[in-house]
Amino acid sequence: MMEKPDVQPYRGDFPVTDEEINLNFKYEVSNHFGGEGLLRCLKCGACSGGCPVGSVIDYRPRRVLGKVLLGLKEEVLSGQSIWLCAACFTCEERCVQEVNFTDVITILRNLASKEGHAAQGYLQMAKTVIANGRVSKATTHVGKLREKLGLPPLQEPNMEQLQQIVHASGFIDILQYNKDGELEE
Amino acid sequence: MKMAIAWGCLIPTRRSLIGYEAATRKILDDLDVEIADVPNETCCAPFWMQSLDITTSLAMAARNLAKAEEMGLDLLTPCSGCFHSYKRVNYVLQNYPEVHERIDRILSKAGLNYEGKVESKHLVDFLFTDIGLDEIKKHISVDLSGLEIGLRYGCHMLKPHELLNIEYSERPVFADLILELMGITSKSYIGRYRCCGGLLRGIQDELADRILHERLVDAYNANLDALVTVCSLCHLQHDMGQRIIKRKYGMDNLEIPVIHYPQLLALGFGHSPEEIGLKYHTIPTEKFIQKAMKVGGV
Repeated sequence: MMEKPDVQPYRGDFPVTDEEINLNFKYEVSNHFGGEGLLRCLKCGACSGGCPVGSVIDYRPRRVLGKVLLGLKEEVLSGQSIWLCAACFTCEERCVQEVNFTDVITILRNLASKEGHAAQGYLQMAKTVIANGRVSKATTHVGKLREKLGLPPLQEPNMEQLQQIVHASGFIDILQYNKDGELEE
Repeated sequence: MKMAIAWGCLIPTRRSLIGYEAATRKILDDLDVEIADVPNETCCAPFWMQSLDITTSLAMAARNLAKAEEMGLDLLTPCSGCFHSYKRVNYVLQNYPEVHERIDRILSKAGLNYEGKVESKHLVDFLFTDIGLDEIKKHISVDLSGLEIGLRYGCHMLKPHELLNIEYSERPVFADLILELMGITSKSYIGRYRCCGGLLRGIQDELADRILHERLVDAYNANLDALVTVCSLCHLQHDMGQRIIKRKYGMDNLEIPVIHYPQLLALGFGHSPEEIGLKYHTIPTEKFIQKAMKVGGV
């Protein structure tokens, strides 16, 4: 049998002071569509138990939920932890309280993105989509291979509708809130 | 039967993924399912894009649904990420009227309208539920008994089940049952249902590597002729990513071919490896093809 990867040791970052606490934060999240489950969390830890990220580093969904419920808004929205979820939905599936952690993560990431803390990798992918209509660019090489396999030529994505959608929804502003937000040509 | 089909971004544009499209077109044709591509399909804005702004993402996914609705057809997709996005659109429209209104307003700016009438189907679930084992069995001309594979369902075809309305999501068997019709042994092994870390690629590469390493160690220890993936992201991780893991963790003997689910069916239906792009994968598939040809007596 081959060895499993190392697991990083636990590192706590308590105590917390009153100034860091925003009592309204949990309601900000639970009032967003998909976030209703947050207030039902019992902190039982079923989410952490099934987490594939938690099996390779010290990452615990329960801890993220705990911080949100405690009101550590600044720390949560500007920190790394909300960008570590791999979105496998295992915790969401297993949660007896239907907290829907993965949906809560989406809301937290949306709030963080509005404050300029979006993950650069995802921003780059979004810019690629806005410039090309797809997240991966079509190449002439693959075009030739498609021909060889008898596949129809690639369609051109409807860029006009895509542009109208991202402008009407305010998404272009989100790119601006995050540094290095200029669009790819 | 006629369905609209959305292929997603990756499947039609990546060297190692176009075989997915080729095999899907072949088997659907064999099964008498007529498909019509969603015209000028745009990105479905899946989970990573929802992370930046979910309302924008839902409106982007609704664009393709609106086109399917204009065609008067339900929507089939082989991409698990797309499937998840499309299912979420209908779920949100039904459960959150105020978001429904917001999305309507965004779509109208693009001259679009989506009533929410299109049902989205994942290719593999469609094969099992709408086509059925009996019908599939009629088309199998090659017996692949002796092949031992590891089937990876991936996450986004299955979870969360109340959103996707699919069979029990943590220990599913429906896709194994189809492969068993061809005599294939779908091995049960540790980690086969676990996440591959694909969505962390590009934002947390070190983490994506560590999770993938776990998955590949699981697969290596299971002694498989091939891994079989349903999800395009799973395929990119296990196939392209395998090279990274081999080097980074010094797993010199690691070379597990990674096959797309419909490619295996296409082989069983009598199509040749060349027709379904089996030679365009990153990890060489020759050994797997040889074994399939031998057991299949072709």
